[in-house]
This record gives sequence, structure tokens and C-alpha cells, in this order.
Amino acid sequence: MRTILKLGKQEHRFIDRISELSGENVYSCYQCGRCSAGCPMAFEMDILPNQLIRLVQLGEEEALIASKTLFICASCFTCQSRCPKGINIANVAEAIRYLAEPKGKDHFGPDEVPAELADELP
Amino acid sequence: MNGNGKKKRIGVFVCHCGVNIAGVVDVERVAKALEGYSGVSFSTHYIYMCSEPGQNMILETIREEKLDSIIVAACSPTLHEKTFQSVIELAGLNPYQVEIANIREQDSWVHSDKEKATLKAIKIVKSMVEKVLQNESLEPIRVGVTRRALVIGAGISGIQSALDIADHGYEVLLVEKNPSIGGHMIQLSETFPTLDCSQCIMTPKMVEASRHPNIRILTYHEVESISGYVGNFKVKIRKKPRFVDPDKCTMCADCEDVCPQIVSDEFNMGLSFRKAIYLPFPQAVPGTYTLDIENCLGLLPIRCGKCKEVCEPDAINYDDQETVFEEEVGAVVVSTGYDLYDLNHLGEFGGEKYEDVINGLEFERILSASGPTGGEVRRPSDGKVPKNVVFIQCCGSRDPENHNPYCSKICCMYTSKHAMLYKHHVPDGNATVFYIDVRTGGKNFEEFYQRTIDEDQVLYVRGKVSKVYKEGDKIIVWGVDTLTGRKIEMEADLVVLAMSMVQTDGVNELLKKLRISSDANGWLSEAHPKLRPVESLNAGFYLAGCAHGPKDIPETVSQASAAVAKVGDLFAQEQLLHEPTVVPVDEDLCSGCGICVTICPYSARELDKEKGVVKVNEVLCEGCGACAAACPSGAAQQRNQTDDQIFSMVRAILRG
Amino acid sequence: MKLHYYPGCTLKEKTTNLDESTYAAMKMLGYELVEPENWTCCGAEFPLNEEKIVGLAAPARILRQVEMEGGDKVVTACAFCFNVLKQTHIALLNDPLKQKRINAYLKDDIRIDPVTKERTTDFPEYRGDVQVLHLLEFIQKEIGYEKVRSLIRRDLGNLRAAPYYGCRLLRPKGETGIDEPDDPSIFEEFLESIGIGVVDFPFKQECCGSYLSVSLPDAASEVSYRILRSAKLNGADMVVLSCPLCYYNLDRRQDRIREKFLEFTGMPVLFFTQILAWALGVEAEILGLDQHFFDPRPVLGITDKAEVAS
Ligand SMILES: Cc1cc2nc3c(=O)[nH]c(=O)nc-3n(C[C@H](O)[C@H](O)[C@H](O)COP(=O)(O)OP(=O)(O)OC[C@H]3O[C@@H](n4cnc5c(N)ncnc54)[C@H](O)[C@@H]3O)c2cc1C
Ligand code: SF4
Ligand code: SF4
Repeated sequence: MRTILKLGKQEHRFIDRISELSGENVYSCYQCGRCSAGCPMAFEMDILPNQLIRLVQLGEEEALIASKTLFICASCFTCQSRCPKGINIANVAEAIRYLAEPKGKDHFGPDEVPAELADELP
Repeated sequence: MNGNGKKKRIGVFVCHCGVNIAGVVDVERVAKALEGYSGVSFSTHYIYMCSEPGQNMILETIREEKLDSIIVAACSPTLHEKTFQSVIELAGLNPYQVEIANIREQDSWVHSDKEKATLKAIKIVKSMVEKVLQNESLEPIRVGVTRRALVIGAGISGIQSALDIADHGYEVLLVEKNPSIGGHMIQLSETFPTLDCSQCIMTPKMVEASRHPNIRILTYHEVESISGYVGNFKVKIRKKPRFVDPDKCTMCADCEDVCPQIVSDEFNMGLSFRKAIYLPFPQAVPGTYTLDIENCLGLLPIRCGKCKEVCEPDAINYDDQETVFEEEVGAVVVSTGYDLYDLNHLGEFGGEKYEDVINGLEFERILSASGPTGGEVRRPSDGKVPKNVVFIQCCGSRDPENHNPYCSKICCMYTSKHAMLYKHHVPDGNATVFYIDVRTGGKNFEEFYQRTIDEDQVLYVRGKVSKVYKEGDKIIVWGVDTLTGRKIEMEADLVVLAMSMVQTDGVNELLKKLRISSDANGWLSEAHPKLRPVESLNAGFYLAGCAHGPKDIPETVSQASAAVAKVGDLFAQEQLLHEPTVVPVDEDLCSGCGICVTICPYSARELDKEKGVVKVNEVLCEGCGACAAACPSGAAQQRNQTDDQIFSMVRAILRG
Repeated sequence: MKLHYYPGCTLKEKTTNLDESTYAAMKMLGYELVEPENWTCCGAEFPLNEEKIVGLAAPARILRQVEMEGGDKVVTACAFCFNVLKQTHIALLNDPLKQKRINAYLKDDIRIDPVTKERTTDFPEYRGDVQVLHLLEFIQKEIGYEKVRSLIRRDLGNLRAAPYYGCRLLRPKGETGIDEPDDPSIFEEFLESIGIGVVDFPFKQECCGSYLSVSLPDAASEVSYRILRSAKLNGADMVVLSCPLCYYNLDRRQDRIREKFLEFTGMPVLFFTQILAWALGVEAEILGLDQHFFDPRPVLGITDKAEVAS
């Protein structure tokens, strides 16, 4: 795989938009990986939480929108509680989901919950 | 008019400072406006007054025009007051006959309206003329120097400082709060990057210090308070009762054998036990037992008293008391070292819950030939030889959100050392290091680290660990390998945490007593981060070792020697000069109300009860003027900043 | 004593055992719970998106109602509702602009009485003065463990409970949590006060799998299983918790967990209010213990009819 790294206007607009929506400074991540190390759902993810932030830093909007991770994050905030830079990755994931939605990427809505669960599921 | 009622001949020199001033202020007009102003005999302007031609022009003008005082209208006095004082000294004038009118920081840099800025410059210069008219010629206050130093803290930095000062031929008091000197270095096993045995290189230094005729070692002592000023400090030192006479103790260990009180051993980081009467470690200096009163059953024979009974040389004295005595010194080296960040801050690693999750110093003791496991690597919980050891770097460091923002600097290297030494002890074991970055910026450090990987096959995994917990007999570590993008879960028999270095407990209180400052992380602040790295801003105090920030031994020793070079500078002076612009007392006016005594931040003023007036220790006075402003009777007048001077300056400004 | 209590929808429709046991326990402790009039769903998730501010309207409306009724605090038993209300409270407190924008929405509220068809408009502004407390906090801060201890009727000393915090009581780290995210003790203290043995286990703050039990049921089973297994390994007789979703994943889904992890033999999972009410002497029938997948009655020693020890 070859990636041509380009940080042009479009990429910066994307990074800034993510920062704005999430309220997080994605530039400040120094890629320690702690978020991924503690993530309870990491074993199911195609890209790890630290890689998610990394791809935002690289302006890789498409790769992010295509990733399964967006909908595996359980918003448990374990990463946020231990990140040395105080980054709330759940918020960043939510911001990407928000941008992904108009592009036809949404997970499941309440109407897709199987009927046999709907009675019980909080 | 000067002090003698003679009319003054004042010269005014207006500086352009390139365009810094001249770009906003019409310097020519300022110079013109001062011509003929009361007392001004000469007025001119020049592009750079501080340049050599500028200085020469001032010098020549003073001679030609027979000036007796000058005003330089230029930048802030903090920059060039000293420069121009020496210029007029060369011309044979008293340095206190120059004043700087600040028309840059207080005018051209903060205004853009040229007309108004020029008028303001004229007012500023005129007000300085009024001040100079009444300036007296002053002589600096001269004080002697006590050529004797105090070193606080006797780790390698304190010991090195003491030895160097002593070798320069000066006396040293080496104060250490623990029963023995040695600090952390004596606890280490082998030291990177050369792997020499720490005790082997440290013990000779400790012995040398104890034998040096110029060094007085005061272990189990602490600094109680300090007063005075650079070159002339008075220190109160508190001796904690040791209950054992070091001169009589033969270290026979009879007392230790009978003592029933068993407590955890600090020297071995709690990995073994000692008695309430103990020798911290075999090579302790001074070589004497110490009775730890907090853990002793009680000195009364009815409660215990066993040790005293068996002590043949009769070295044990239950009546030993805490005493405080005073010493005079001229310089103070602060070398109080570091502590490690408390494991309890890391709840996600179980805090101190798990016996086999330890910090680096504990592992040093486990590796040490004289340690609690006799030099074999065995884990604390069950004494088994650990086959899988996980090392975690940056524990509490580089974490501005939850812990300490700074890098502890030495843990990359000691972790590399730990992994290497572990593999030397247990060649069939696995050592895994979790890291974020490996920082090896020291001589031969990178080579050392690479050996750990190349020859000892230590696995470095790039990622910060998030959780450590126990499941049955195993410790589980949750990490990540960011290089392959895999979340990692692994079993370990022992986990060694590279805990952040932090300021020593209790040093904050000491710093308050010494009136020296520390930075946001608690480390001692140097006077200038680049140009004055071993001095404190408070004159007479010097910094050495980890009290100033994380360091390895080579850097600690270099800093100690550098601090001593500065102590040498101080002790080489015949006399010290103190600014004469202090605030004396006019005894005729003083009512003895004592307001100034309470207000003075430097304890320079004292009420003379007999005379009913205040006395000033001029050497202590820093000339801040707080008392002058507070004195209700006008008895406290600062030299060359009297009320009269200030009023004339204000009047000049109001007149325009 | 009267106390504002926000139950939330799940407690009225699905996990009624949490709601009913809360009422029963608080009655024993001397409190009459008052639900804010016309309360609605809190939204279940605090909006993570700075632009989805409208998500704050529902929880803010609940807080305003409490304020209108003269309340200065509201207590919840559901960890999810607690989290949403508390985060809303903080967001409005720290950001006056947000508060203003939300009040602009709330101002236009119209309420139509279903019976009289009377319209209410012109609601007052929410001033942000309502304190949001989880019941565990209320017990710690206002009732006091001493008092709880003095009212205990049943001896649970031979049982060992694992306090399971999950996410919503502790995170996001900062002002929201009721304790330190990685070193909490409030749940343990609570359990001690009711006289039950406490088990320390390293998974107490791990995530239960949340709604992934719908989208990735196997993955959710695995994380839930690890929590239950850790509690068991550390000697727990039961897991005690406060969140309906955690309860769903850890109790109601134990059949799925067993399918995947054959060695798993099951574990009773109880709401903290159930064990509290039980300790305080409330009869078993009121506590909805029959609604659990893994029947907790045997471990509590309830065979037929519960005996109230006195
Ligand atoms: C695990 C570990 C391994 C290490 N390995 C190496 C290595 O291999 N190589 C290397 O170069 N460096 C190593 N270091 C670093 C080394 O320990 C330090 O550089 C060195 O010990 C610093 O010496 P110091 O004198 O500044 O401080 P310290 O050794 O801490 O000495 C300070 C002394 O001051 C005393 N003191 C403190 N407060 C007071 C007070 N108020 N009054 C009186 N006395 C006081 C203390 O009791 C102590 O004796 C290691 C550090 C750690 C944590
Ligand atoms: S824990 Fe924080 S700093 Fe570390 S990789 Fe994750 S987001 Fe970046
Ligand atoms: S020296 Fe290395 S291990 Fe220590 S804090 Fe710095 S980067 Fe981390």
C-alpha cells in the first residue's frame, strides 16, 4: 500500500471540522497508544483508537469513514479517562460518524433492533 | 542643587536606539527641549548611546563640559544602567550621579502618536533631571564573607559538592536528614552506561567525605531556619536524637539481635525488614547504629530497654535529646535529590495492591548483590524467579493530563539497564519493555540501549500500557503495539514500573525557609536557564543534582562541581558589595511605631526598645522601599529616592 | 423527608425492579421520593457532538422542572440517566452561551393537559441550580453510612458482593464521575455499610459491551463474560450494579454468554437498591427478584417466603 501524504486545504478543513465538532484538540495526540491498550472493544476493531486519531491527523477522511471502528466504539470513555493528553476519542469518533452520515454511512437505528430484544433492551 | 547646595552641571544624552525610539519619539526635539532646563548644561542625541562611540561621546563630553551628573534617555535601566555607571566612573564621577530616563519601554514601544510620545519623553527626562539634582554620591556598602559552606542533602550531588568545596580549602557542613549519607546512588545495583557497581564507586566517596578534615558530616540533622544574606548566613540546624553515640558504637549488632521490633526496611525499599535499632546498610557513614524512636517500644526499661542492657561499649543513651544549634556559613548548596512518584497514583495498575508490581528502585535492590535476595532475581510475593518480566516506561511522566508533564529523563536508560541485567541473571527469561519513545541522549547511551536489543534480545514494544491486574498467580498487562496496530494482552510474573521522578517530600517547606523558588513541577529554579544554571536567583544559594530536575549520575556530579565553582567565585572575593540605595532611619523623626518592622520583607529592620527608634541592618535591606512608603513620620527615606525627590519629579511631570 | 427522584423510562417499563427497590429502600431510610411532574426521557446518551446542542433540551427540561418545583437537587438510581443529567448540568454551568441557547429552546415549550386541554406556555428559564446526585452519592453525602448501618435488618455478612461500576458512574473523567475512574471506593463503602462482604476485582470499571450486544453480540458476550469471570475468580457470590444496560448485558444475556463460554456457570446480578432494600428488611416480593435471568433468590437464602429477621 502506498499513501501519498498531502496536507492541503481540504485535509486541514477536515481536521479543523473534526476539532470543532468534537471539541478535542486532535493535534495534541502523541501516539502513545494508551487508548488502544485499554479499549475494551479494540479486539473487534479494524483500526485502533490511536490509529483513528492518527488518520485524523493525516487528514485521511475516506479511510476513517470506511472504518468499522466508528461503530464499534462503545463510548465507554476508558480512553478518555487515561489519555495523557486528555483527548476524548469517543467525541472524535462521534464527529467522524456525523460527517459520515450524509455520505450514507450509518449503523443501525432503533427500528433495526430485533423485535425479540426490543422488549427488554434498555 | 546637590547635597552641598552647589549648582549641578547635568548632561542629557538622548538615544535613538536605532528606530526603536527615534521611530516614534522626535529625539532631536527632546534634546532641544532640555537645553537650558534647570541644571542642564548640555543636551544632545545619538543613534546608539550604548555603543562604543556613544560611550566615548559621553566620556568626552563629561570632561569637556565639566559635567558632574548625567541623564541617559534610553531603554529600561535593567538593561544599561550598569553600563553607564561604569562610563561615568571612568570619567571620575560617582556612579550614583547617572539616571536612566526610560523613553523606550515606557514610551516609544507603547505609543504610536508621535507628537504625544515626544511630549511624554520630554516630561520623563525632565522628571529625571529633578531627581538627579538631588542625587547624593553614594558608596556601596561593604561586607565580609564567611568562607564556609553548608550543603543540604548528602546524596552523590551533596557528597561531590562537599568534597570539592573542602578540596578548595574551605570548611563544609554536610547536613543529611537520614542516618547515613549516600542518597539513592548507594541503593543502585550497577550503573548505566558502564555497568560499574554503584556501591564500589560510591563507598570510597563516602569514606573520603567522612575523613576529610574540612568536612563536618551532620547526619540525622535537618535545617531548621536560615537568616542573613549572601556571604553571611546564620543557620539553625536541628539534630534529631539518634540515642546511640557514634563514637562509641562498634557496630557489633548485639542491640539489633535483641530488639523485638521488626519494621520494614527503607533502604531495601520495604522488600526486607530491619529492627527498630538498626544500621541502614553495612557501608553506612557514619558507621553507627540508630534507634528509630517512632518504632521503638519505648525507652523506659519497664517497656523494653533490651538494647541498652546488651550494649557493651555503653553507646546507647536513652536520654538523648533533640537539640538546635546555630552555625555561620557564606554559601548554601541545595542537593536534596528526588523521590519516586507514588505507585498509588496509578489505580489502573493496581496502585500498591500487587506485590509483584514494583518500582525501579525496588528492582535495583533485587538486582543488587547486597540486596534482600542476595543478588538473585526473585519476585517479592513468593520468591520465585520470574520468567516473564514486563518493564513499563513513562509511569506518571509525560502525562500532563493525569500526572507529571515532564520527561523523567533517566528512566529510558535505567529500564534498558534493568532489562539487560535481568537477562544476565535469567538468560532463559523474557524481558519486554513497553515504551513510547526511547531517549538515549547521553555519551554512550544509545550504544548501551542497542546492546540491550542486539545482544540481550530484549523485546521493545511501542505503546503505553493501560491496565495491569492480577488473575490468580499471574499478572496481566494490557498494552498495545502501535507499530503493528495490535492490542496486546500478556502475562507477566513481575512488572517493573519506571516511575516518574518527583521533588523530595518536605523540600517545599525547606525552600520556603531558604526563600528560593521552584518551578511549576516543584523542581528548584535556576537563576537563568541557560546562562546561570547552577545558581538560585536568591544570592548565595546554589543548586546541585536532582533537586533541580531529573538527572543521571554523570550530570549530577557535573552540576555539583559547577555549583562549587560558583561558591569558589563568591569565596574568592575580599568583600561583597551591597547596593547603597537602602532606607536608613532618621532617628530624630522616628517615633518608634514599628510599622516598618512589620512591613519589611527582608527582616532588615528592628525596634531598638531602649532608644525607642528603629534600627536598620543595611546589608539586609534590598531597597524595595516598602517601609519608606509606610512610614507615617517621614523618618524612613530611601537614598536617592527621597520624598522630596519624588515630589519634584511629580511636579516636573505635571508642569510639562 | 421529600426528595426529588428521576427514575427514567427504562425503570418504569423494563427494569422496574430497580425503580421499585429504590422506592422501597428509600422509604425504609425515611425518604418520600417525588418525581418531577411530566418528566420525559433524558435522551439516554449525552450528545458527544458540540453541534447537537438540541440533545441537551430534554435533560435540561427535567432539571428545570425540578427547579420549578422548588427542588435544589435530584437523585437518580439509573447510571445512564445520572450521567446524562449530570453532564448536562455541567455543560450548562460551564458554558453560559449553551445555557442561553438551551433556554431559548425551552422558553417555547407548550404543555397541553391531556384531560382539560389547558395550555401552559411561558416557562421560566432554567438557572442551573439543580444538583444532580446518584443515589450512591446521596447515601454517602446526605444520609451517611452510620445511619444506613443502624437501620440494617438482615445480616448479609456471609455473602460477598462485587461492586460493578461500569462506565457511566465514573467516566468521562472529570466533574462527571462520582469517584476516581481507576481507584473508586464509594460503591465498596456503600456495600460495607449494609454489612455485606466486598470483593475487590480488577474489572469493576470495565465496559460491559454497551449496545454492542445488539450489533456485535458475540463481542459483547466476551467482554461481559470477562467481568463476571473476574468477579467469580475473586470470590464474589454476586455482582451488584446500578445501570440497566449493564444489568441487561450481565444478567439477561447470561444464556448467550453460556453458549459461548461453556465453563461459565452463571452469577447472580443485583441492583444496588435491591440488595440495600433486602438488607433493610424489605420483603422479597417487592424487589422484582423473579425478573432476573439468573435467579438471585437462592444466594440470598430466599426459598419460599422470606423471613424478616429482626
Ligand atoms: C531506579 C533508578 C535507577 C537509576 N540508575 C542509574 C544509573 O544506572 N546510572 C546513573 O547515572 N543514574 C541512575 N539513576 C539516577 C541517580 O539515582 C541520580 O542521578 C542520583 O542519585 C542523584 O543524586 P542526588 O544527590 O541529586 O539525589 P539523592 O540521591 O536523592 O540524594 C539526596 C539526599 O538528600 C537528602 N535530603 C533530602 N531532603 C533533605 C532535607 N530536607 N534535609 C537534609 N537532607 C535531605 C536525602 O535523604 C538524600 O540522601 C537511577 C535512578 C533510579 C530511580
Ligand atoms: S491515549 Fe491519547 S495521546 Fe495516547 S494515542 Fe490515544 S489519543 Fe493519543
Ligand atoms: S526518560 Fe524515557 S521513560 Fe522516562 S519519562 Fe522520559 S521518555 Fe518516559
